[in-house]
Amino acid sequence: MKFTNRFWHTAECFAFILAMLAVAGSTAYADNSQVAQIKTVSGQAEIVRNGARAAAKIGDPLYEKDTIETGADGSIGITFIDNTVMSGGPNSQIVLEDYKFNSSDFKGSMLTDMNRGTVSMISGDIARSTPGAMKVKTPTAILAVRGTSFVIEVKP
Amino acid sequence: MIVRQIIRSIGPILIVLLLASCSSRQSLFVVLPNADGSSGAVTIETPQKSVLLDKPYAAGEVRSGVAAPVQVDQAQVQQIFGNALAAQPVLPSHFVLYFEKDSDVLTPASKRQYESVFDDIKRRPVYEVEVIGHTDTMGTQAHNQQLSMSRAEMIRDRLVHDGINPKSISVAGRGSLDEAVKTADQVAEPRNRRVEITVR
Repeated sequence: MKFTNRFWHTAECFAFILAMLAVAGSTAYADNSQVAQIKTVSGQAEIVRNGARAAAKIGDPLYEKDTIETGADGSIGITFIDNTVMSGGPNSQIVLEDYKFNSSDFKGSMLTDMNRGTVSMISGDIARSTPGAMKVKTPTAILAVRGTSFVIEVKP
Repeated sequence: MIVRQIIRSIGPILIVLLLASCSSRQSLFVVLPNADGSSGAVTIETPQKSVLLDKPYAAGEVRSGVAAPVQVDQAQVQQIFGNALAAQPVLPSHFVLYFEKDSDVLTPASKRQYESVFDDIKRRPVYEVEVIGHTDTMGTQAHNQQLSMSRAEMIRDRLVHDGINPKSISVAGRGSLDEAVKTADQVAEPRNRRVEITVR
């Protein structure tokens, strides 16, 4: 009896740990999928991730939900895994709000929050393969992109 | 009497001017030409109005939450967006290298083309390289999967041998699934015996 109890307790613990690992594993996977890489940095440029702020460095990966912020002398250039190219000028805040990309069929979706400052973008595979999937949101408008190069300024 | 008339006639104009100055520009959008001079299109969507911009230097702005077309010239674009444009990364490049039949040996033309792939990678301060191998439809699927992977790995090994960081190279084999030229099964097609390389 005592043995059986202990056995079931152990089994329960084991199942619980497995379940936790499964959850942690899937979360870690989402966090680990790089969506872009920092290619150029000049002056003050920072990445805010899960509330933590760090200086942007050339070669660093970027993830969905990252916020890019530049100071008065700052600028930054990044390239996404679907070959979308984006660069921000001074006093800018840009959030990588949504980014999904399947490298087998080149389909995906991309929503960037352009909160303030200046940004230049050249669309990549997502805009080409999935009409209507690339959008940029400013505080007063939504920009729907069909395969092109464009710039946006948002006044503070 | 005359004063009252003047006020009556210019009053509405004054009100319009005041309103215009109150509602300053909230955002500006400009389509830029692609490298070949063409352009795609963007649509500015606001609750009351949408504005389509489908030509190089077509521009729109939002005032008081309403989108409207606006004129801008290249000099203004440079003045407002110069810093952002100067920060733009080297654009991604795409290469296709071709192989001899049922082999991971490059064709003579592609051996020369390999040099431009290498040069393109080296000019970047930081890089990511994707190498995807493909085959034509000759042979079994299993064989082609294996062959497409060998082709991609051959290119990777060559790049690593030439000094490219292996951590920045990803390889994949797609067998005959993604043909450049659609053919029936068991067709020898040189244009399908290839690796596609993206450098960014």
